[in-house]
Amino acid sequence: MPESTDASSPDPILKVENLKVYFPILGGVFRHKVGEVKAVDDVSFEVQRGKTVGLVGESSSGKTTIGRAIIRLTEPTAGTISYDGKVVSKLSAAAFRPYRKKIQIIFQDPYNSLNPRLSIFEIIGEALEIHFPEMTPADRRARVAELLGKVGLKRDHLDRYPHEFSGGQRQRIGIARALAVNPEFLVCDEPVSALDVSVQAQIVNLLQDLQEELGLTYLFIAHDLAVVEHISDFVLVMNDGKIVEAASAEAIYENPQHDYTRKLLSAVPKM
Amino acid sequence: MNQTNFVHESYAQRIWRRFRAEPFARNGLWTILVLFAVAALAPFLANSHAIIRVADGRVTFPIFPSLEPIEWRFLLYVPLAGLAWLFRRRLFARPLGGATFLLALVILIEVWLVFHHVVNDPTNDRDRPAAFKLMPLVPFSPVETASEPFLPPSWTHPCGTDSTGRDIAARMLHGARTSLSIGFVAQSIALSIGVTLGSLAGYYRSWPDIAICRLIEIMDCFPPLLLILVAVSLFESQNNMFYIMAVIGLTTWTGMARLVRGEFLRLSGLPFTLAAQAIGAGDLRVIVRHILPNALGPILVAGTFGVASTILLESSLSFLGFGMQAPTPSWGDILGESRLYIDFAWWLAFFPGLAILITIMSYNFVGEGLRDAVDPRLRIK
Amino acid sequence: MTTYLIRRILLLVPTLLGITLLTFLLVREAPGNIALMKGAGGENGSRAMTAEQREAMIKLYGLDKDPFTAYAEWIGRLTRLDLGDSWVDHRSVVAKIGERIGLTASLAGSALLISYLVAIPLGVIAAIKRGQVTDRAISFTVFVLYSIPSFAAALLLILLVAGGDYLNLLPMYGTNSINASEMGRFEWLWDRIQHMILPVICLTYGSLSYISRYARVSMLEALAQDFIRTARAKGLPERLVILHHALRNALIPIITIFALELPVLISGAVIIEEIFSLPGMGQLMFASLEARDNPTIMGITVFVSILTLLGYLLADILYVVVDPRIRYE
Ligand SMILES: Nc1ncnc2c1ncn2[C@@H]1O[C@H](COP(=O)(O)OP(=O)(O)OP(=O)(O)O)[C@@H](O)[C@H]1O
Ligand SMILES: [Mg+2]
Repeated sequence: MPESTDASSPDPILKVENLKVYFPILGGVFRHKVGEVKAVDDVSFEVQRGKTVGLVGESSSGKTTIGRAIIRLTEPTAGTISYDGKVVSKLSAAAFRPYRKKIQIIFQDPYNSLNPRLSIFEIIGEALEIHFPEMTPADRRARVAELLGKVGLKRDHLDRYPHEFSGGQRQRIGIARALAVNPEFLVCDEPVSALDVSVQAQIVNLLQDLQEELGLTYLFIAHDLAVVEHISDFVLVMNDGKIVEAASAEAIYENPQHDYTRKLLSAVPKM
Repeated sequence: MNQTNFVHESYAQRIWRRFRAEPFARNGLWTILVLFAVAALAPFLANSHAIIRVADGRVTFPIFPSLEPIEWRFLLYVPLAGLAWLFRRRLFARPLGGATFLLALVILIEVWLVFHHVVNDPTNDRDRPAAFKLMPLVPFSPVETASEPFLPPSWTHPCGTDSTGRDIAARMLHGARTSLSIGFVAQSIALSIGVTLGSLAGYYRSWPDIAICRLIEIMDCFPPLLLILVAVSLFESQNNMFYIMAVIGLTTWTGMARLVRGEFLRLSGLPFTLAAQAIGAGDLRVIVRHILPNALGPILVAGTFGVASTILLESSLSFLGFGMQAPTPSWGDILGESRLYIDFAWWLAFFPGLAILITIMSYNFVGEGLRDAVDPRLRIK
Repeated sequence: MTTYLIRRILLLVPTLLGITLLTFLLVREAPGNIALMKGAGGENGSRAMTAEQREAMIKLYGLDKDPFTAYAEWIGRLTRLDLGDSWVDHRSVVAKIGERIGLTASLAGSALLISYLVAIPLGVIAAIKRGQVTDRAISFTVFVLYSIPSFAAALLLILLVAGGDYLNLLPMYGTNSINASEMGRFEWLWDRIQHMILPVICLTYGSLSYISRYARVSMLEALAQDFIRTARAKGLPERLVILHHALRNALIPIITIFALELPVLISGAVIIEEIFSLPGMGQLMFASLEARDNPTIMGITVFVSILTLLGYLLADILYVVVDPRIRYE
């Protein structure tokens, strides 16, 4: 385990260098830019293949923005993101398309992340429709059923609608959707924050099992250290758009260097 | 984790269930369906020719040769409704596709109207002797001079006659076609423009949004009736039904555009839209499959209210004498004619006025019911 | 606040340009004018148009120039309040509008005032008695009113109370009786009021039903807010809670929708003035449409749309001024 992010490493699957994402603040008479929110301000880190990097920080510290920049839902203001050694942050939307099969995302809010008008089969099958147009509907159904099994749901859930599921089940559906295209890398944006504590552990365990089974790499975002500590190999602590501390999970827990990290730690109930 | 207590139903089914629970809305829908049925069957309900005539040992159906090809138009709705009912599950499994498909078919049928006119056929079967004859409910054609002018309602003329002795009941039955068609088609035009511009503004934001918002504001500064009057009178030579529909549609889309824009602004920031984008769905797919279906409820509600106000606009235009050219009757025309004789011929104003009122009210009831069904939070009861 | 105002006023400029451009192109590109421009004098172009009118038309809309120059010149005249002369009586359009605006404004003004005076109590009562018989009765009545076309109502009212076969309580047409010039001041006023009752009723009930529905929803929303519950919990008398706290908050959105009613009222005035033979702007519009008096038609259209635009501006400003919670930077 490398001690710091900029130490060269054997096999970084994702490399983020000097990433900046600024959002304009509009104002004045003509709604022009009068200032910026520096949501992500000069952030660099690496993620090793098959490992989990935890990203923690308070609300609005810029965690989601980093996740979205990686998957190109938000355009970076500056900096580069490389995937598998290739710079992907400057690719055109069309050229980035193949990477949408490799990088996927799981959202924070299970209640808004599934289209309420589509059945579970349609939600999960859409990625297959887009990326594997040669599949027949029957193939797709079989594949979606298999995915449902993988995330611990039943086959007869296929034709139901999102409102018929609980929060934890919805999050499983979200995971199945992300897995449909056989990704290598998952951005998990606070996948358990909105869930009951008992359900949280189930989902975290599911994610760990899937990682083992499919050899996935995770960027695991959370706002408290307890969850991250459990699942991560390496932890990044973020505050106000900047990474203030980066260390292995044990090191962070045993020997926090930064005041902000200590503050976050003190909020974690010792078990 | 027990899910069995959830009713397994799609969104469309849920809306339909809630909608049916509202008595006013349900009755409004029935009234509209009956009105459309009346419009469809108008030539069979009011015609100067017998449906069946037995004379000289021969059985004939004089009503059929008397029909213009265009008269069959509304009858296309019968097989259409049948097909829609047969495939209802498939249609409503995908509400957007189903609705668009039905709308397209109906518009296709309606646009034939450009050529619609009632031919003045002086022959009639009323006075011809026959061993047996079955006359339509109202045995008069809407354009023939059937009796004395200004006859008050009686058994022969249930709604009286007008200044040239035409039967008001027959004119009203045929007028239902014009009034209902215009309401529907004009609102569909407004809906298409509103949804297209609203989606562009709400989805792409930045400069398309700025441009479209300005356009909406400009259009909103013209009182609708005024703009339509100006357009209709300046371009008088094209003054047919399709033109009226187009003008009304082109001037009343702003409310829909505002609504759709708002919905798109809200929905395009939600995680399921982002998830679709992350999966690699293109803009068209995201709009058509993810955003639009979720905006369909409010669009449908606004569209229903829109039909009501369009019918009102059309009847105002006809009333003022800027509508269709006679002899195509419309309820507004009959009302407009009545103006000169209002001090004694109350029936000239009462029946068409009532018909317009009932139609508008039914659409408004359906709109209210749909709104409550689509968004129970808005239910204020 | 100041920046908001400046921004709001500056945004009027493109909208104004848009409005004028749209009306300008509409009348300039009308088929009649195209025929005229070609000099052929088609069926439309030749109809009822003298050589003199043709000259005036070409000059007014710059039909012999390219659209941009023509539009620029037209705008230039517009800023000097020169909308051209009517083809019917050769008087300036501005003067014609000027002498008609008073009647229309007083019609629309009284309709708006009465709408508010009746609609707000109705809406508030319906909201307080939510779900009860009173609420249902009010809501249903208002709903029916909302669906009655104003011209049908006008005809039936004339038939019933104004000299038809039934009652003869009110005059049918015009602003005053024929012998109005011989009347004393109060008699004259009473005569005028009698003539205005029916038109104002016909113009009012539509807005009234719309506003009262809006008022009801707005009041219900206000009543559901936290501070109302707090006020009730503090044991304030219900009357005070409703009148002082809830109504005050509900009133803000209700009052600002007057701007939305402006175009509706003006549309309504066209019909109502025509039916009741009232010499207002609506009737002028209608007469000009029938006479194809293009300068007057365009003059009224531009005038009314600018008026509406100012109404929206006023409503926006009012909203900011009245509501302390809203802050525009
Ligand atoms: N589209 C946007 N436009 C403007 N500002 C934005 C946008 N998205 C995020 N921000 C701002 O960027 C900052 C970082 O937001 P971000 O969502 O990344 O925080 P977060 O760490 O994920 O917070 P949370 O734990 O609440 O999810 C916030 O101040 C937010 O207001
Ligand atoms: Mg976040």
